[in-house]
Amino acid sequence: MSESTQVVSFKLGPEEYGVDIAQVQEINRMVAVTKVPRAPVFMEGVINLRGQLIPIIDLRTRFGMPRAEHTKNTRIVVTEIGTKRVGMVVDSVSEVLRLPLDAIEPAPDMITGVDTEYIRGVGKIDDRLIILLDLAKIVTGSEKRELETTDIETAA
Amino acid sequence: MSSSGEFFDRTEFVQYFRDETEELLQSIDSDLLRLEGYVDTKALDPEIVNSLFRALHTIKGSAGMLEFVAVQQIAHKLENIFDLLRKDRMPLTEGGINLLFEGRDVLTALVRVAVAGGEAPGGVDDYVQRLDAFAEIYDSTAQVIEGPRGEADDEETLAPVDDERVAAFQAEVERMLAEANAKQPAPAAPAVDLDDAQAAVDAFLSLSPIAAVAAESAVAPAPREWPAQPAVAAAPAQQDHKRVGVAKNQTIRVDIERLDLLLNLVGELVINRTRISDIASTLGRELGNKGGAGRGMAALAKDLSESSALLARTTNEIQESIMKVRMVPIGQVFDRFPRTVRDLAKARGKEIRLEIFGADTDLDKTIVDEVGEPLMHLVRNCIDHGIEAPAVREARGKPRHGTIKLNAYHEGNQVILEISDDGAGIDLQRVREKAIRNGVIDENDRLSDREIIELIFTPGFSTADQVTDVSGRGVGMDVVKKNILRLKGVFDVDSVQGEGTTFTMKMPLTLAIIQALMVRVADELYSIPLDAVIESQRIDASDLRTVHGGEVITLRGQVVPLIRVGEFFRLGAPRDPDKVMIVIVGLQGRQVGLVVDSFQGEQEIVIKPLSDVIGRIAGISGATILGNGSISLIIDVHSLVASAYGSGRATRAEFSGV
Repeated sequence: MSESTQVVSFKLGPEEYGVDIAQVQEINRMVAVTKVPRAPVFMEGVINLRGQLIPIIDLRTRFGMPRAEHTKNTRIVVTEIGTKRVGMVVDSVSEVLRLPLDAIEPAPDMITGVDTEYIRGVGKIDDRLIILLDLAKIVTGSEKRELETTDIETAA
Repeated sequence: MSSSGEFFDRTEFVQYFRDETEELLQSIDSDLLRLEGYVDTKALDPEIVNSLFRALHTIKGSAGMLEFVAVQQIAHKLENIFDLLRKDRMPLTEGGINLLFEGRDVLTALVRVAVAGGEAPGGVDDYVQRLDAFAEIYDSTAQVIEGPRGEADDEETLAPVDDERVAAFQAEVERMLAEANAKQPAPAAPAVDLDDAQAAVDAFLSLSPIAAVAAESAVAPAPREWPAQPAVAAAPAQQDHKRVGVAKNQTIRVDIERLDLLLNLVGELVINRTRISDIASTLGRELGNKGGAGRGMAALAKDLSESSALLARTTNEIQESIMKVRMVPIGQVFDRFPRTVRDLAKARGKEIRLEIFGADTDLDKTIVDEVGEPLMHLVRNCIDHGIEAPAVREARGKPRHGTIKLNAYHEGNQVILEISDDGAGIDLQRVREKAIRNGVIDENDRLSDREIIELIFTPGFSTADQVTDVSGRGVGMDVVKKNILRLKGVFDVDSVQGEGTTFTMKMPLTLAIIQALMVRVADELYSIPLDAVIESQRIDASDLRTVHGGEVITLRGQVVPLIRVGEFFRLGAPRDPDKVMIVIVGLQGRQVGLVVDSFQGEQEIVIKPLSDVIGRIAGISGATILGNGSISLIIDVHSLVASAYGSGRATRAEFSGV
């Protein structure tokens, strides 16, 4: 049996995504999110997670998809990237999957919706495609860019 | 001990070593300063010398254990010097004390390198050579002097102990010291080896009552009478032992992050406690309504509400205790200054006396850590720009000695820190000229004295004609002020030409808990730090005016610009056409009216930073979790005031009221 990795899979629209289970701290139902004014657009706000303030990213907005109504299936996936904790709003969480490493392929150039910059690879299991995300890039990478544009806006 | 790594967690020990050594170096510094008072007096306070000896001994031991050879070596050599001083084999000279001060700095640099890595500091070898050369003179002369000393005979008659037993004891002590050195006792548990040493001392003391008297006198002030090795060698051990018993057991080091975690958990507890109280009272009400519920149920509901009240009290006490644990005396920062003042005064050829008051004033650890740098800068400023040279002072009819006063005291919910000097004061004319030359102000600008003083906070501003290594290096007063503001402090300067300058900083007691005015803006509850709030008012919309396109109100003759919080934060709330609710906030004499939807009372809040994932948000300084678990963002008054005054909507002249 070849080596494998465990991922938490979730859905945004029709597509299925996965993040490394080691980076997932917990999965919560949608709670009241306090908006943070003048924050980047994909920044949904902050929530109180047992006394800790956790910033929440709307993953759809982050990937430039249209916002979705929150339903009873909407979840906040609380992830831990380095020392930072970030919650991500997803349409629904599917399951924990074991993906053999040899079932993971590098991200193809043309992939639906998401900028390949945030993708570590694509996992194939049965006939499902799981897009594996690089969380660190989602949180830090181009959010800087967004912040910069916010600054420019403020200055104007 | 072959490989130290096998027996203990090295990282933890290095950290311990760093903390412990930092404290010891600090105490060495202050002891050296005290010692300096004895230069050329031929008398010494043996307690100071002993304390120095002990501190170096501890550093040497810990460094040895961690195999920080360079640190160990210097500590050892310095320890030797104090040993010579202690045994009165070396007079205390100015040259000597300077060499010791220098040694302390070399040691500090070596410790830093040992702990954090990096380039070895330069000049260490040179220093060691000078130190050795210095020590050698006295080491050899001591032996010459030793012989003909008359006291030795007295000692014979004083302590008729037979030579054999003394020699045996001496060997025993030496064996134990060697053993202790070889073991290089862990700083956490030095008591084991010291116990042995103590036992040896006790054994020696039991030899004869007269010897006991003699040994005691050797421990106390007059080492001259007692050149015999054993008692002197045992003395530090004995005193160390005492110190271990008295001081070390009463404090422990705790990582501040653990306290923060604890504080978070308590916050959680507070929130749940509120919910339990709610449930208890709802239950009571429901049962009351139904009437028919059994007695047992009613009693249970009563029990629940009683026990939740108890829970509430305990929780509050825990919260308060944790806040107190975070408080440390400002003396931790003040302690650094005597040395700085001494060195800089010497370097500048000035005579300066430093007076410290209120060193035991408690402040939150975070503030104490952050406030050191700005304070240091101000003290340097006093020395460099404030206090005049002795000759100038005499010519002006002042004492040769300049005085710098550091003062700290509590005032309400704040701590006031003052640094004042009796120097030349700020030369307003020169500040003005410099500002004109730099293009900060125009030649025709008419500024009040106060506004001129404010000019020194302009970035890059320095009136020093020449750049010295003390101040005027480009790290300006603007940085000092910015740092103080960042700590939510208020910074003020008062200066009388020819008489001196006083810097006053008002700091919050703690950064973690503040009083806040809660306001509602478009469905969101915001917190405004109460220390910045001057008043809140309901004003008729017809009283609003516009200046340069910005809304203002006139308040007691002063024009105050308004910021509509809902619009600043783009919350899209409709304006009330008739009334406006205004919170007047003020900083440094500048006032701004914040327009909100309603006032929701005052409350104590625990400040939590917004995640750096979100980044810096203009107008928001953090957030807090309210009793019901919801989040309230904290309005950053500094940035709002700055934006009202910086955006050109208001010119300074119009709002320059103080």
